[in-house]
Amino acid sequence: MSETRTRPRLEIETQLAPRLEPVPVVLEAPPSTGPGTLTLLGGGVAILVLGLAALGVGNFVAAQFERAAPLGWLTAAVAVAGFGLIAAAIRRELRGLLALRTVDRLRADLADPARARAAARMWVESLSEGATLLPALAAIQDRDATLALLRAGPIATLRARADALGRTAALQIFAVTAAIPWPAFDGLLVAWRGIRLVREVAELHGMRPGLLGTLGLLRRTALSAAGVVATDLAADTLARAALSNPLLQHVAGDVAGAGVAARRMVVLARATALACSPV
Amino acid sequence: MPFARPTIRIGVTGLARAGKTAMLTSMAANLLALGAGLPALPALSQRLQGRGIRVSVAPAGADPIPRFDYPAHLAALAADPPRWPARTDAVSLLALDVEIGRAGLAAALPPTAFRLELVDYPGEWLLDLPLLEQGFPTWSAAALARLQGLEIAAPFLGFVQGMPAQAAADETLAATGHALYRALLTRLRDECGLALLQPGRFLMPPPGPAPPWMAFFPLPGRSRLASLLADRYDRYRDSARRELRAPGFGRIDRLVVLADVLGALHAGPAAFADAAAALDAAARALRWSNVAVPAWLAQLVPALGGIRRVAFAAAKSDHVAERQRANLKSLVARLTQTQARGPTAAFALASVRCTEDIVWQLEGHPISAVRGRLIGADRLARSYPGEVPSDPPDAGFWTHPFLSLPDFEPLRLPLGGRGGVPHIRLDELLVFLLEDLLP
Ligand SMILES: Nc1nc2c(ncn2[C@@H]2O[C@H](COP(=O)(O)OP(=O)(O)O)[C@@H](O)[C@H]2O)c(=O)[nH]1
Ligand SMILES: [Mg+2]
Repeated sequence: MSETRTRPRLEIETQLAPRLEPVPVVLEAPPSTGPGTLTLLGGGVAILVLGLAALGVGNFVAAQFERAAPLGWLTAAVAVAGFGLIAAAIRRELRGLLALRTVDRLRADLADPARARAAARMWVESLSEGATLLPALAAIQDRDATLALLRAGPIATLRARADALGRTAALQIFAVTAAIPWPAFDGLLVAWRGIRLVREVAELHGMRPGLLGTLGLLRRTALSAAGVVATDLAADTLARAALSNPLLQHVAGDVAGAGVAARRMVVLARATALACSPV
Repeated sequence: MPFARPTIRIGVTGLARAGKTAMLTSMAANLLALGAGLPALPALSQRLQGRGIRVSVAPAGADPIPRFDYPAHLAALAADPPRWPARTDAVSLLALDVEIGRAGLAAALPPTAFRLELVDYPGEWLLDLPLLEQGFPTWSAAALARLQGLEIAAPFLGFVQGMPAQAAADETLAATGHALYRALLTRLRDECGLALLQPGRFLMPPPGPAPPWMAFFPLPGRSRLASLLADRYDRYRDSARRELRAPGFGRIDRLVVLADVLGALHAGPAAFADAAAALDAAARALRWSNVAVPAWLAQLVPALGGIRRVAFAAAKSDHVAERQRANLKSLVARLTQTQARGPTAAFALASVRCTEDIVWQLEGHPISAVRGRLIGADRLARSYPGEVPSDPPDAGFWTHPFLSLPDFEPLRLPLGGRGGVPHIRLDELLVFLLEDLLP
């Protein structure tokens, strides 16, 4: 093998580096037991509402045609435009859900030594700066090395960007809670910003989750959060660094809990990145 | 009712610096973190299939064995900058209370509860087990034969060969020979990296003042001095035999034999062969531990059967990348093939992970390597110590160097230690050791 001929060595890198952090663990999602009651109920209601509305509109268009042809065409155009938008929304939802499935498939492929290389290649190609990595990827034969390369390259970059998004969200939360005079709104604000953050990080990973997709993503994020919370300390330092602005430090004392919420944003960004990442 | 629960005693043994203290600390921290609901031991969580598990440090009972200083060792690893736990020598014990819930309809029943005792047992003492079956003349001949041709053994061998055939049973001679022999063993360990050095208690004395019968050394012939030494040797064997029945070792029913295989690869062919022989001695000794009990009876009455599960593990495998860890594991498996009665398994693990895997472009080839921060440094060091063979290495292997293992700093502990200690395959080891207790 080529490795026997390579001389062993120890080399010190040139950049300063902090203490290494363990890679957070993602818990396996419990096997799904088919659609839940609420899903069935919601689906039924949606079909009834949309289906009956479509039938009603159809009748109405037909009636309009009987009155006058131009009136009929106009009504038909309005109906098509309206339902078209609804269809587009549904399509987007489905695509968002499908993107989540793709991550699962990619994970399974990467776990399988036989398919890992091809899967890694496909994923890297789908990334915007992936091209630079392809030659190195082509040179590697075994799966562990492939994964190590992905972790050191694109995954690390994505994680750094997710961290940056988390820091921005943390800063905003912090600043806005400091400025808003009604503490009752704090919770709402944090929840809204949290959901936006989840979607931002998902977009970073090439997904545009819709409403259902976001819900699915939140469920996964909750699973991976356990792993991230375990690496709490790192999130802590990140949040503290984000809030190290002297002005913010000055108001920090006034806003009880804002520091905690800001820290949670950083954790949330990391957890989402973990949920969206194939390795 | 602390004594109502059954006690499982896991012995962790290995020569000095093999990583016993690190392993006990990591096992305890990760089990406690698992009990707190954190994903510290994924393989074990998976095995539990959603059943709840609770883990707590058991209060010190009336056991005569000293406590393992878990809080201090964990604090050292968790500190920033981290330190490795201080050197420990004597036997020590750490007890954890474990409760595993039941699933489904049985969930209403009380959980399965047991006490898990982890014992830090010096491997040097296991090396004395083969002595129990050897008389003084046989042992002397074998020990001296192993020293032949070693340059640093010259002073001691000179002393033995210069001894008159009719030497009297003189205390000064005995003390001088003993001091020379002991110094030689220490140098063989520290300078040549040898492991199979007997008697083990010369290098790792039991706590307390050394009894006078410890002062012996291998000597051939039938002089009166030799018979004095033979008497002392027999006393030594009696004491070792008694210790096997004593609480420290007597009740161990699962054993982890840790070996620094990577370190031995660096130390060269002689040291490696020696380390392999030591592992083999341990493996054979474990058969010995049950010799008084027929197999069928041991199966029926486990308490009589002595050690029931043995794991042989290469420690510190975070010094090489994943692909090499697979080789390391099969190397350990090849070195410890025994006809042990109970289940045995081989592992390549790291109790306290210090590195991450990288791909390193070297001389035009991508090489699986690792990197981590050295203790006291502020930059990452990349390390590729060499290729790990998956079979016992042949002459060709030794023509390439294998680097010594750098002193890496542990990864940051999650939640300052409450989240466990980052590790490699410690969870699989625990699943193997506790297999029969898990649902
Ligand atoms: N990289 C690495 N080094 C380890 C690990 N475990 C132990 N060591 C090293 O081995 C040394 C001895 O470990 P220790 O647990 O004190 O050995 P003991 O004498 O068998 O108790 C430590 O100081 C560390 O430098 C590990 O999992 N990974
Ligand atoms: Mg120790």
